[in-house]
Amino acid sequence: MKQKKVRFLVGSLLIVGAIGYLITMGISNTSQYFFTVDELLSQKVSYAGAGLKVKGNVVNGSIQRDPNDYLNVNFSIEENDASLKVAYQGVTPDMFIDGGEVVVEGTMDKNGVFHANTLLTSCPSKYEAEKEAGKMHPGKFPKADEYQKPGINKAEALPKTTI
Amino acid sequence: MNDIGEFTLLVALATALYGCVAYVMSARGNRIDLYLSADKTPFIVWACVTISSICLWTAFLTDDFSLQYVWAYSNIELDTFYKFSSFWGGQKGSLLFWTLLLTTYMLVVYFQNRSKNLRVVPYAMAIMLAVVVFFLFLINFSTNPFERIPLPPEDGRGLNPLLQNYWMVIHPPTLYLGYVGFTVPFAFAVAALISKNLDDSWIRLTRKWTLISWFFLCMGNLFGASWAYVELGWGGYWAWDPVENAAFMPLLIATAFLHSVMIQEKKDMMKVWNMSLILLTFSMTIFGTFITRSGLIQSVHTFDEATLGYYFLAFLFVIMAACTALIIARLPLLKSANELDSFLSRESSFLFNNLVLLGIAFATFWGTIFPIISEAVRGVKITVGPPFYNQVNVPIGLALLALIGIGPVIAWRRATLSNLKKNFLRPVIAGIVAAVALYPFVPLGNRAEIYTYVTFVLCAFVLTSILTEFYKGTVSRMGLHEESVVGALTTVTWRNKRRYGGYIVHIGVVLIFAGIAGSQAYGTHTEKHLKLGDSFEIRGYTITYEKLVAIEATSIKTRIIAQLAVERDGKRYWTGHPEKEFYKGQNQPVSEVDVLSTWKEDLYMILADFREDESATIKVYVNPMVSWMWTGGWVIAFGTMISMWPDRLEQRRRLDRVRKQEQLFPSPAQE
Repeated sequence: MKQKKVRFLVGSLLIVGAIGYLITMGISNTSQYFFTVDELLSQKVSYAGAGLKVKGNVVNGSIQRDPNDYLNVNFSIEENDASLKVAYQGVTPDMFIDGGEVVVEGTMDKNGVFHANTLLTSCPSKYEAEKEAGKMHPGKFPKADEYQKPGINKAEALPKTTI
Repeated sequence: MNDIGEFTLLVALATALYGCVAYVMSARGNRIDLYLSADKTPFIVWACVTISSICLWTAFLTDDFSLQYVWAYSNIELDTFYKFSSFWGGQKGSLLFWTLLLTTYMLVVYFQNRSKNLRVVPYAMAIMLAVVVFFLFLINFSTNPFERIPLPPEDGRGLNPLLQNYWMVIHPPTLYLGYVGFTVPFAFAVAALISKNLDDSWIRLTRKWTLISWFFLCMGNLFGASWAYVELGWGGYWAWDPVENAAFMPLLIATAFLHSVMIQEKKDMMKVWNMSLILLTFSMTIFGTFITRSGLIQSVHTFDEATLGYYFLAFLFVIMAACTALIIARLPLLKSANELDSFLSRESSFLFNNLVLLGIAFATFWGTIFPIISEAVRGVKITVGPPFYNQVNVPIGLALLALIGIGPVIAWRRATLSNLKKNFLRPVIAGIVAAVALYPFVPLGNRAEIYTYVTFVLCAFVLTSILTEFYKGTVSRMGLHEESVVGALTTVTWRNKRRYGGYIVHIGVVLIFAGIAGSQAYGTHTEKHLKLGDSFEIRGYTITYEKLVAIEATSIKTRIIAQLAVERDGKRYWTGHPEKEFYKGQNQPVSEVDVLSTWKEDLYMILADFREDESATIKVYVNPMVSWMWTGGWVIAFGTMISMWPDRLEQRRRLDRVRKQEQLFPSPAQE
């Protein structure tokens, strides 16, 4: 009876060990450092070439699209007075706007330009609406005509139909 | 109205507190007067919470913007449909909704067990009331949905357009029903521990609750996946986001629990293990709420107020500590008489299934909290993303898939060579046939493609092993009775609902595995900036950009729609209309994708951007086999229905048991 118990213990430990091994390997192969812009720039060690994830706010007016290749975007992100140039290739999310909070994943080159392969905008959910609106506290409420409509003016030029 | 809502919440809290204490005292001191008084509280608490919820709903439907919560999540022009669902659109309302579901469950348990199982039920009610007290405490003192704005504004801020989708009405309630439901088996488990009633009665009493909660959690996850797929417009359905993980982990542990309780019922083994699993499942539901509401881990689903998370963390620690202590104190009573005999047996396949499920849950857990741990230990935040989860969970998931094929057919106690041959010959041959047949057709270039190939082979193996079970049952029934094939199949299933219902659920799981494998490995996508009339090709589809139109759909919504013609083999095949919607009052547009879904693949189109010259950026995905997952979900639903359907034989057995118990401990009504 004892022997059987030992065998099951060994068998289970083997499974647990295999899973543990997978987890450790997974972490060491795929992990990314996560910094805000100012944290990244104040690091003494150079993280050039390493997988990085960086959070910051898009600098107002910094979004530049290549007129020939619409999917080629350059912009800067900032956090606490530190800013970082980012190059990104691809479709940008709906919430990618001036001042918006973004998280980019990719690598730094030697010139300090961040090459992003993923661009995430933070929290589209209304759960964070208060934070998003910044100055707007729950007690204060906006006037009816205060909403903005970025992008809609682009639509003005298009053929109109009403239903 | 609002005053009533606020007041009833307070009454509910006070009553729940009293009920909790009174139930415990009545059970400890054998005091019938107290018991009779405590026994009124579940209904009162439920009634109060319901009235309060109705008040909040009324506020939404009547556009009462003097409530801060209504102002923040609704406006006059919102559809009635969404006004109704705005109730759970934010933190405060969702907590009230949670409490409403919990008290409703509690009321059903109360009616089910009225003057029955008197040794256990008072404690179980007390535990549930304690959980209710926690939530009511938060609602009353931390996030009151009835908070006023002194000068009511004229219009509300409106619901986030991303939430204005019919899934908003379905997905959160489904998930909550699952989350909340595990409170019931948990309460009964703890009650069994406290009252030292440690046979398997608590498991049998709550089997349906476990199944229902598991079912809702499973569906909630799938609904969430399809919501993300149609609404978020990134071509995927699962991102290993912390909140998705938070819903996924309890599902895994609950699945382990569902399986291992069978061993306890049949063999009287794994008692401590089952107790720990249900405790873990419940803790995971609280942990999930903690993640969603703490803002500690970055996620798309986070709620705003960050402080609330720590209440949940504290609650979690109290539960974990108390229950662990309780289990340790009762260890001598939880000893089981039987032992595992052989690796090759049904019992050990259950053990392995449990280890594997917990392995996936742990890997997911570790990945989710790794940023916090690394920051605490090394001072640097290190995150892991989808590559980590895929790298770790896919191999473990494949082991699980193989076990689905092995577990249900391997012999109990000890499988001999002839057993193995009898049970596994056909499935193994099917697997080999699938392996050979698929080999020339599927690419095996990278790791994902190899995994997918293995998945398909295993799916063939598992499906054959399940279908063989149905076949065997049908044939033996037909041998004994004169019945048609369909008739015999139905009778066999109907007479063994638990067993065959389970098999059907397994078939659904196999379909989901196949769908995930196919869509992960063979998908492709492209993004193009197109002028009117431009066309491009993807996977044999020729897509032509035809026109762009702006429509003022309502006074608050403008839709920009692109029209794309899809041709296949020179013939027009489909017309896609991806669009972008602009809502008044919201500073971001919402992409509405257009999907052509077939059993083979989905053609998925997004209007990523457009310009004044009517040129547009279009992103197109071809996702193979996605619809298999949704089909798998319906199969799971069907299988769960069957295994949950009231079983008269089972009921009779249960009634006998209850009678026996009542002789030992007569109910107060009889005394």
